[in-house]
Amino acid sequence: MKRFVIILLLLQTALADDTFQVLRNKAEGFAQVVPGKSIVFPADHGAHPDYRIEWWYLTANLVDQKGRDWGIQWTLFRQALSAQTEQTGWSSDQMWMAHAAVSTPDGHQFEQRFARGGIGQASVVNMPQFEAWIDDWQWLSETPSPLPATLKFNVSEIKVEMQLSSTDEWVLHGDHGYSRKSAQGQASYYYSQPQIGISGQIGEHRLSGSAWLDREWSSQPLADNQSGWDWFSLHLNDGAKLMLYRLRHADGEHWLSGSWIDQSGFLKHLGSDSIEMSELAFREVKIDQQNSLRLPLDWRINLPVLNRQLQIKPLYDQQWMGTRFPYWEGMVLVEDNEGNRVGEGYMELTGYQ
Amino acid sequence: MHASLYLVIRAVLSHYWCHRWQTLFLLVGLVAGVGLWSAVQIINQQARLSYAEADSLLGVQAGYWIRSRNDTGVEVADYIHLRRAGFRQLFPVVEGEVSTQRGEPVSIIATDLFALPSNLLDVDKIDPATVWLDFVQPPYRAWIPAQLADELNLEKNSRLPLRDGRLLPPALVQSHAQQGRQILMDIAAAFELLNMTSLSYLALGAIKPNELERLQSLLPQQLELIENHQHLDLQQLTESLHTHLSAMSLLSFAVGIFIVFNAVRFSLWYRRPTFINLRLMGVSTRLLMTSVLIETLFWSIIGTTAGVLVGMQIGKLLLPGLSASLHSLYDATVNTQLIWQLDTILKAWGITLLGLCWALAWPLYRQLKQHSLASRVSEDEKQSRQRLTRAAVVLVVCSVLLYPYLQDALSGFLLLGLLLFSAAWFLPSLLALALQTISCSIPDHPFIARWLVSDGWSQLPALRTAMMALMLAMTANLGVGTLVDSFRNAFVDWLEVRQSADIYLRSSRVDFGRLLDPQQSSAWLQHSHRRIGVTTRWQFRQTLIRGVDKQAPDSLNLPLAQWSADSPAKTLALWRADANSLLVNEQSHYLGGLQLGDKIDLETANGPKSYRVLGFFYDYGNPYFQFYLSREEVVRQWPQHYSRGVALWLNPQNENAVLLAEAAMRAAGASAGDWISQLQVRKLSLNIFERTFTITAAMNALTMIVAAIALLASLLAILQERLPQFAQWRALGVRSREQFFIIACPILIFVTVAWLLAIPLGALLSWLLIHKLNIVSFGWSMPMLWEMAPAWRLGGIILLVVCATLAMTGWQLRRRLPDALAQLGEMD
Repeated sequence: MKRFVIILLLLQTALADDTFQVLRNKAEGFAQVVPGKSIVFPADHGAHPDYRIEWWYLTANLVDQKGRDWGIQWTLFRQALSAQTEQTGWSSDQMWMAHAAVSTPDGHQFEQRFARGGIGQASVVNMPQFEAWIDDWQWLSETPSPLPATLKFNVSEIKVEMQLSSTDEWVLHGDHGYSRKSAQGQASYYYSQPQIGISGQIGEHRLSGSAWLDREWSSQPLADNQSGWDWFSLHLNDGAKLMLYRLRHADGEHWLSGSWIDQSGFLKHLGSDSIEMSELAFREVKIDQQNSLRLPLDWRINLPVLNRQLQIKPLYDQQWMGTRFPYWEGMVLVEDNEGNRVGEGYMELTGYQ
Repeated sequence: MHASLYLVIRAVLSHYWCHRWQTLFLLVGLVAGVGLWSAVQIINQQARLSYAEADSLLGVQAGYWIRSRNDTGVEVADYIHLRRAGFRQLFPVVEGEVSTQRGEPVSIIATDLFALPSNLLDVDKIDPATVWLDFVQPPYRAWIPAQLADELNLEKNSRLPLRDGRLLPPALVQSHAQQGRQILMDIAAAFELLNMTSLSYLALGAIKPNELERLQSLLPQQLELIENHQHLDLQQLTESLHTHLSAMSLLSFAVGIFIVFNAVRFSLWYRRPTFINLRLMGVSTRLLMTSVLIETLFWSIIGTTAGVLVGMQIGKLLLPGLSASLHSLYDATVNTQLIWQLDTILKAWGITLLGLCWALAWPLYRQLKQHSLASRVSEDEKQSRQRLTRAAVVLVVCSVLLYPYLQDALSGFLLLGLLLFSAAWFLPSLLALALQTISCSIPDHPFIARWLVSDGWSQLPALRTAMMALMLAMTANLGVGTLVDSFRNAFVDWLEVRQSADIYLRSSRVDFGRLLDPQQSSAWLQHSHRRIGVTTRWQFRQTLIRGVDKQAPDSLNLPLAQWSADSPAKTLALWRADANSLLVNEQSHYLGGLQLGDKIDLETANGPKSYRVLGFFYDYGNPYFQFYLSREEVVRQWPQHYSRGVALWLNPQNENAVLLAEAAMRAAGASAGDWISQLQVRKLSLNIFERTFTITAAMNALTMIVAAIALLASLLAILQERLPQFAQWRALGVRSREQFFIIACPILIFVTVAWLLAIPLGALLSWLLIHKLNIVSFGWSMPMLWEMAPAWRLGGIILLVVCATLAMTGWQLRRRLPDALAQLGEMD
């Protein structure tokens, strides 16, 4: 679910001082997220312009030839500015935004881009082959499915070119892809590919590792009383994967949800009653030249039904995305109770400003 | 020392407190002069700053443009292709013009805010984020600069109705960097409004050399990368215009300083006893000089401060019109927001100090140096008249010597300045001569006639400076008036010949073959003229090579300024017969140095080719060079030519020709707004013309007002000075009517002499402006249209000013005479 976040993205609508508002806007006029709809591939890999928001979200944990940890994030967001039938050309009401970040042993860099739809400057198509792009940032597959593919982008002067492939099944979160976000009925369609083999080049460095692709679309994913979320996508060394998030409510009754995919690809949905999450440590993160923010960077996650206890720590604290819609998104490592590294992944923290 | 200096300054300055009228006039002169001068300085500076920014577009430095070679616009697909190749420095621009219901042209500029290299964060600073969300969504928003919104009477959310009945998007009074007087909107809105489908051009933000090379190699065949010379071009093109404005402002400044001089002259008379007393009290000359310098400094600071403030206000009034003209003439975007520049203030202070040194410090210094306490006014007066005359002769000699070297606007104005000031300095001698002649020619009786002449002698010193100022203002008024009238006349005649077609159609979508198909169009169409062109650079200036139909009605009657054969008609016939000959505009002759019979080497697609110049045609208002070749020749040599549209002459026999023509144009792919009728073209052209000269007329009127103030100031000063004398007259039994007659007559004589001198001088000034300055500055010539009517009109106005001034003087006299009489009684 994560990533609504950003979507605040596009263009904050009515209340300019609350960047999340777009996620709470009523979905009138837009297509609705309803239970029971089947996710169909490869059609659903493409864009859904009749829904308000949508994203293609890739994170990857990589290791260079010296064994150092690297990470990349590449996301393309789409937003429909109005519920009108999609117009083409310059009058299109589809807006696109992209974020990219490279976390290196020497620091974290990010870049954002904006483009309007309808003119071919940014879009996602999946016929005859899948392609997602904004200017020269491009995810190009050889088939109508997003994988296998080549991903090319740059962050400032750093060029990134990666090969992506996967043989695993797509994971449909929630109820066959219908992912509830609140008790009031907010929901999204949400599926992922948590096991993507990734290798390629960042600047002069050759790297490889594993990536995670999230796909999600909705017309109103956030409830009025939800202020932000904490999201995790984790690869464990034993082959299991875990996605979980906590949507924070003002009254402390947070909405928790997750998916556990075991070594054999079996998916177990985790509800609020089967997840325990707590912050272990808050630390200062620089958000610009002058200011910093205290963020919960260390976490304890307890999954009683699976008998798993995990501790999450960022590989680098300073992975702030100072984009127009700012948030913390970065590589984390997973430790067991004894402090052994048992996996890695990505964490996203929003709504703390 | 300090205490005594303080006392001396107090004593010296107390004069201004006691004689507030003179203080007021000194201030008025200073403020008027500095104000007008600094107004023009501020305007020029603003314009130059804008030119310096001309390599930026909407806040982004754009060192290059990408345009289509044949002027059909840049296809969106080509733009996207380049963006996807990684050229995010590129952003799309759509430009166009629409007409308001009153026929005023309004420029539209549109871009994609998301694509601006520095995009959203900058946009965000403007207003809440929702502003730009509205910008990109129907019904869109038109961002209109405050000044323009004011002129168009637009408020937030109101929609400007256009000539074709459509509406602009809802207005938002807001502007982006370098928007100037254009209306900014989203590309989607502009495409809809202007009925366009391709981009006007792409602008290229900062780019590294290797990336530029890559861009060049990836550029589609139909597009070309053009370096943005605009800031250099604009500086070159507009230099003369700004020199003209500066010259007029200097004239105003001079007239203002004349008033100051006048006011000081009278203050000298009053302050003589003060100085004498101070000297008798043992105050040293050095101390007195220091006090004079401090006084000068004091007035310069007051004058500069008030003058610059006034100048700012005048600038605010004049700049929008000038900015509109610069946009229509040179495509220059000039911001209408005035900004303070320390530079202007310092310059204003410098020039004020200089002026005051001449008008205030020097006369005071001379006063101090005079050891003789006796009054030598009449002797002084004669001497100073002679001095002025000698100086005038020197100026005339200088101007005669300068004349052969007249090469640019600056030397031209220097010559004008020399001539005007020499005439002004001759004037006192002329006035004296007039009095002399009258006194010789009148009989001894009646007695009042002799009194009148002798009173004239005593008024002459007082009125001398005012008359010089008045004559300068009148001369400038007549000269510039004649220039504008001549230009208007020539321009209107020229428009009639050049724009003789009934309809002008310009659109890249029109199927001209279909529109002009003789079988289809014979009912409504009599003649047509399809012009094509290419833009190149010749002698570092933008040059248009036009391919014209040599048999079209407007080509057959092309108005020539100079021709190589016996007559214009023969020259045109030769040009029609020879594909290797060309006609060029006058600008190429005067500014580009081309002579009849010269050969021009042009780079064509088939290699360099030489063309011979047969004649120069009038091409008013065009800042560029323009060459006329045949259409076929341009097609042959410049395959990348673009269409300049078509001119249509309708069939006069067919009453429905206009309707038929419109239907045919629609059927050929044009839409309303793509064509414009002859009437509208002429109206637009004349509007631009009138607007261009508004600032000239305003400066002219303001200078006249300053001169009128000078006259009033002098008369009131005379009154002040001579009040005891007038009281004596009254005591001797002179009636008030007689007294008024005695004062008024010499003034009328002087004003008449000044007016009479201003007429030939005005004619000389306009001759120089038209035949010399205009040619070296703008490169076009015109016949001079001299008429006496403006001179009579000016005489009438001056008479009114004199009458008003005399009435005021008379009123003052009546009010103050009783006191003066009482004082006279006491003195007795």
